[in-house]
Amino acid sequence: MSGELTKAVADLQEEEALKLTNDWLASGMDPNAILAESRDGMELVGERFGEGEYFLPELIYSAEIFKEITEIVKPKLKAETQKKRIGKCIVGTVAGDIHDIGKDIVVFMLDISGFEVFDLGVDVPPEKFVEKIKETGASIVALSGFLTLAFDAMKGTVEAIEAAGLRDQVKIMIGGGQIDDEIRKYARADAYGRDAMAGVSMAKEWL
Amino acid sequence: MTDYAVDFQPIGRKGECRADETILACARRLGVDISSVCGGRGTCNSCRIRITSGALSEPTDIETGAFTRQELDNCWRLACQTSPTSDCQVEIPLESMTASQRVYIEELEIAIAPDPAVKAYHIQLTTPSLSDQRGDTDRVLAGLNEQHGVACRKIDINVLRALSPRLRNWNWECQTSVRHDEVVALGPWPSRQLGLAVDLGTTTIAGYLIDLNDGQTLAYTGAVNPQVNYGEDIISRIDYAIKSSDGEIKLHELAVNKLNEMVTNLCAKAGTSIEEIVEATVVCNTAMHHILLNLPVKQLVLTPFSATANLSLDVKAHELGLRIAQGAYIHFPPNISGFVGSDHVSMLLASNHGLTDGPVVALDIGTNTEISLLVGDEITTTSCASGPAFEGGHIKHGIRAVEGAIERLRITEDGVNYQTINKARPIGICGSGVLDALAQLYLAKIIDGGGRLAKGNPRVRVIENRAEFVLVDGEGEDRKSSIVITQKDVRELQLAKAAIRSSIQLLLEATGFVDEDISEVIIAGSFGSYIDVSSAITVGLLPALPLDRFHQVGNAAGMGAKLALVSLAKRKEAEGIASRTHYIELANASAFKQTFIETSHIGRYRIKQGKREAVT
Repeated sequence: MSGELTKAVADLQEEEALKLTNDWLASGMDPNAILAESRDGMELVGERFGEGEYFLPELIYSAEIFKEITEIVKPKLKAETQKKRIGKCIVGTVAGDIHDIGKDIVVFMLDISGFEVFDLGVDVPPEKFVEKIKETGASIVALSGFLTLAFDAMKGTVEAIEAAGLRDQVKIMIGGGQIDDEIRKYARADAYGRDAMAGVSMAKEWL
Repeated sequence: MTDYAVDFQPIGRKGECRADETILACARRLGVDISSVCGGRGTCNSCRIRITSGALSEPTDIETGAFTRQELDNCWRLACQTSPTSDCQVEIPLESMTASQRVYIEELEIAIAPDPAVKAYHIQLTTPSLSDQRGDTDRVLAGLNEQHGVACRKIDINVLRALSPRLRNWNWECQTSVRHDEVVALGPWPSRQLGLAVDLGTTTIAGYLIDLNDGQTLAYTGAVNPQVNYGEDIISRIDYAIKSSDGEIKLHELAVNKLNEMVTNLCAKAGTSIEEIVEATVVCNTAMHHILLNLPVKQLVLTPFSATANLSLDVKAHELGLRIAQGAYIHFPPNISGFVGSDHVSMLLASNHGLTDGPVVALDIGTNTEISLLVGDEITTTSCASGPAFEGGHIKHGIRAVEGAIERLRITEDGVNYQTINKARPIGICGSGVLDALAQLYLAKIIDGGGRLAKGNPRVRVIENRAEFVLVDGEGEDRKSSIVITQKDVRELQLAKAAIRSSIQLLLEATGFVDEDISEVIIAGSFGSYIDVSSAITVGLLPALPLDRFHQVGNAAGMGAKLALVSLAKRKEAEGIASRTHYIELANASAFKQTFIETSHIGRYRIKQGKREAVT
């Protein structure tokens, strides 16, 4: 692992990244190693986004590059290793709130970090979260809400999960606009994330 | 629970603060205006104070994140995070105070023939006698009928209560103010017939005293909306209203008390009495409207954002606690939606001259920006949360338009030239300055189209991995004295301008037009009045069109309020505007996200099929 691909992805050098991917694949390198370097590059992208150096367009661009790399590598991956996911995560913006850009960034970052993500969209009623937990057996639930009045909906969602007897089998995190520890306690969630990066770190810790 | 003595300097206000009360809450209670953009949540850092004697609670995590080690050692704290642990003295720096903001109102004269809702009639009555024992009011109404042919059956209860002694004082001669079929005021003959027009903004309130007979403005005044202490933006304010048991009442009272204060001020300026103000109009955004009318606000901020009422309303001033003539009404022109209020309708009313066929874009830029696209009789409207960046919020050294705020900026080979409000010593940068800074940094290639700060530039320094551009050099290493624009500030501005530009783009796409088709761009509102339009074009906030197509119209909402005040025909026109408006919800527009990301880029461009195309 030379780190060249990591750097190319992190620096958004599309041509260079694709060239390295193709060359390495042709020379017989393990496809998983190629993906691992790409993911490391994406993590750097995430860090730079958190620092403000990269912005939304860069995030989208990096996603496109990563997607292209995955398309090239996928056929070479053995069937059983293709869907190797480190965990399952349900993400959604709570009932009454329709803000999605922040949520989408979290979904994106969880996905490239290796989670299997179920994006429920926006204005999601508590019952839908409950159903999805039952259906997928996911162990992490991420609730997004930007408007301060979404906090009641977050609380309601946590309570619905409790009422369904599922609270012990999931870890719940919240994120969004003006979230802090007071809101976390109010909603009875396990943790809150100040930004997408924090959310992903949290999810990884919970595995 | 112990109480400690707190002394706020340099303002010189002393009082008691409970041990479990934050300094911010204590200051509010004592009437000391410490700025709090986020309403006390600890996310905006605008409530910076210094303790000069005494002890405070240990710094919270939020405070250790907000200040450097040196600043904490120098006793800098956030008022919303701190409580006293002994008697103390607190220094509030100028930039942490909300008061004395530049308030933009102007004297605009109306060019229409007045046709007010209230008409005045001089009546002379015969004295009661044993052979004519009619009731006083019956006498008045009969007089109206006989002397003016006005058939009137209703009279306001407060006017009724004061009528008998006053008629005797005036020797049975008076002036009756009649609104449709109701007597709303009674005064000595001759009295003036005045009206009050108010633009109740989220941040600033403008009030105008108008002579209803000729439409002339007798006096005008402006004030900062006192609700800002509970949150500078609508959402924070509504949050406060919902979360505390008397929040809605408190906000309502703040607004009404300030209006009453302004009325007294206006009357003093014009040499009139409040009894002569027989009619009022108030225009505002929907949330402010609901707060003033004591309508529930919770459903405004949850999808699908419904207002309790959008139609125009006529409400008794005394119902709301507004002290003008006893029986006077306040007319509220219609709202358009939960996020677009009568102030936008009012702006359209004042700017709609219908002279051009081509599409006209009219926008009022603020924390929320409302935009309409007018083509012939059709009006398509949307609103977006542009955020407080253009009002100095969320920007490291961003402040409101107060004395000392950098309002204009140019970057030359020699350095940074700037101009501050009232030419005072620079203490921060306000909206127009921030816009100039972004444009100038881009033109000087210190930031690229993506918004990244070039770390190699001599004025760019990197602190803890974060880049910032130094606008004004400080004396020492103290963060307080240099004024900078950080990489994060640039990102905030990109988000703000993307919200606005993508909304304009969506309106164009919904109506089948492109940038070049736009015949006129009307920019209303206080921020809009001060910006350098070429800076806005340079960064891509506004489409790249010839400068002569842009018109900064100042407080058009206030102008519209005046028009509605003096003319029933204009009220009908406002209702027509509201009913013709087709409101587009951005969240529903599938192309929004893509366009939003595209328009976060800085530069002059048009959007074609979802992608940027440079415009020279």
